[in-house]
Amino acid sequence: MTDPTTRRSEPRRGEAAAGLAVVAGDSLPVGRAEPAPWAAPSEGGAPRLARRGSGGAPFGFVPLAVAAVAFLTLPLVALLARAPWRELPGDLTAPGVLTALRLSLVCSLGALALSLVFGVPLAWLLARARFRGRNLVRALVLLPMVLPPVVGGVALLLAFGRNGLAGRWLDSAFGVTLPFTTAGAMLAETFVAMPFLVITVEAGIRAMDRRYEDAAATLGAGRWTTFRRVTLPLIAPSLAAGGALCWARALGEFGATITFAGNLPGTTQTMPLAVYMALQNNADAAITLSLVMLAISLAVLVGLRGHWFPSR
Amino acid sequence: MSLEASVGLRKGTLELDVELEVAGNGVVVLLGPNAAGKTTLLRALAGLVPLERGRIVLDGVVLDDPAAGVHLPTERRPIGVVFQDYLLFPHLSVLENVAFGLRSRGAGRAAARERALAVLDRVGLADCAATKPRALSGGQAQRVALARALATDPRLLLLDEPLAAMDASARAELRRGLSRHLAAFPGTCLVITHDPIEAMTLGDQLVVLEAGRVVQSGTPEELSTHPRSRYVAQLLGLNLYRGRAEQRSVVLANGRRLIAADPVPETGDVFAVIPPRAVALHRVLPEGSPRNVWEGTVEDLDAIGNHVRAHVSGELPIIAEVTPGAVASLHLDDGGPVFVAVKAVEVEVYEA
Repeated sequence: MTDPTTRRSEPRRGEAAAGLAVVAGDSLPVGRAEPAPWAAPSEGGAPRLARRGSGGAPFGFVPLAVAAVAFLTLPLVALLARAPWRELPGDLTAPGVLTALRLSLVCSLGALALSLVFGVPLAWLLARARFRGRNLVRALVLLPMVLPPVVGGVALLLAFGRNGLAGRWLDSAFGVTLPFTTAGAMLAETFVAMPFLVITVEAGIRAMDRRYEDAAATLGAGRWTTFRRVTLPLIAPSLAAGGALCWARALGEFGATITFAGNLPGTTQTMPLAVYMALQNNADAAITLSLVMLAISLAVLVGLRGHWFPSR
Repeated sequence: MSLEASVGLRKGTLELDVELEVAGNGVVVLLGPNAAGKTTLLRALAGLVPLERGRIVLDGVVLDDPAAGVHLPTERRPIGVVFQDYLLFPHLSVLENVAFGLRSRGAGRAAARERALAVLDRVGLADCAATKPRALSGGQAQRVALARALATDPRLLLLDEPLAAMDASARAELRRGLSRHLAAFPGTCLVITHDPIEAMTLGDQLVVLEAGRVVQSGTPEELSTHPRSRYVAQLLGLNLYRGRAEQRSVVLANGRRLIAADPVPETGDVFAVIPPRAVALHRVLPEGSPRNVWEGTVEDLDAIGNHVRAHVSGELPIIAEVTPGAVASLHLDDGGPVFVAVKAVEVEVYEA
């Protein structure tokens, strides 16, 4: 890393990854058991923190934090309060709802599968390989994370639309059209969700102790065996966290999907789109659909609490 | 069994340039201070670090020869490595760890498990087969790491500070166990350590590495009687001086003369070694026989067992081993001047 631009862009990448990936990296059961100096319980700090319930927070922090929690939870409370609990079983099994739910699961799981197949090798290369323009590649890969999803949808149309850069060729050579198809919806979700997996898994691979791979090599394991039997299990927490983030993002994807794949019930109308449509004429159905998605999100959160919220 | 290695490479500030030759079975101990390049040399032998120049030949098979473009990848070398903190795979059971090498080298699941269990039994840990590494004690982890390295019947066994992670109470016993396993190993074995007792007890041959170069090699006896570097002398607790031979005495760089009783080589560079227990300290100029007397100041006192080591500065810095009684009666802790006396018969001189 002699290139000064490379050096400068490193911390920025770290910052971007911090919120998503570093926590996952922390919970890896690997690495030398050297506690970081800041992780050691300081003898002076602990009693001072325990002195008050607020931990000695600066003036005004407590009410502001309470307001933030209220703001974040009130809509969910409203959703639960306004839910038509009595009609819920009937609404849930309505054909339109089930179709949207099934489609959402198919598309989001498909997006997750595509992200794993292409994203894990990409993450490995970003973490390990040394090549020119690696930081440029990383920036390009992460761009969909910050790009407004609608813009992503427009861009996808220009690339894979019937007259798009690649779409025209796909159409003429293979007769494949992607816009307004289920495959198109899956592609739109992958476009938006894959970066979450890549960034999290890359951080996990970087955080892992490479000497385990050296140990595997001295035991006669080739690269593929080492990856399968050592690297992959050791980065499993990052993989789980990245996969969950990626899948949740795909499940909630709205903008890119509606722009690129449209809003065709049974083909491209996923749950978020169905919620939005239902809100126009049948608010109760919208609430019901929203509840289903809330339940799924909660399930993911609970399932991964060990990775995101170390129970300390 | 033979290992011929000539390793030249640069890594960071380290410039490694080492020739190593081992014929027959035996344990070679690689001794040296931190950052001397011991681990890098071991990694080079394992193929984990590429050579820039040199050649590594094990039992007639060329593993590395950068000039000829030969580099056998690590996974195809007949080696076993015990890493410094063992690096047992945390997600695999003890048995799976030991079976890993056999599985990677193509053994079937059942055969690998059977063989792994036999090797585990040999290190006395068959009971722990199903446990995960994190539940093992340090000593058990070390034996599992050894079993894992031995399971594939390597021809070259490399151990990087195998006892460094142990506390002092467990060390002696583990060292004896390790010594037994290494003696039974039918191949060449290279052990890294910076502990002189480990080096003396485990090794048939000692190689001292400093700043990427071999400064001395030989049997433990040769090293302990004739150290050739300050590091080795310090490790063994000896006073070592380098100077020029001149008529039964050694002239040091600062002009000071050490008189020896033994025959001294006619001329040339020599080492003079003085064991600390042969150094006497006095408050008044001693009369009588000692041929080497000079003045100094006690800088520091260290208690070692039932002795005290006095670090004396002055024109010829030296370490003296005295009794606690002498410390008290001579008031050695007051920082005043002392006379250092060494009999000529205690000064051993040999060619540098």
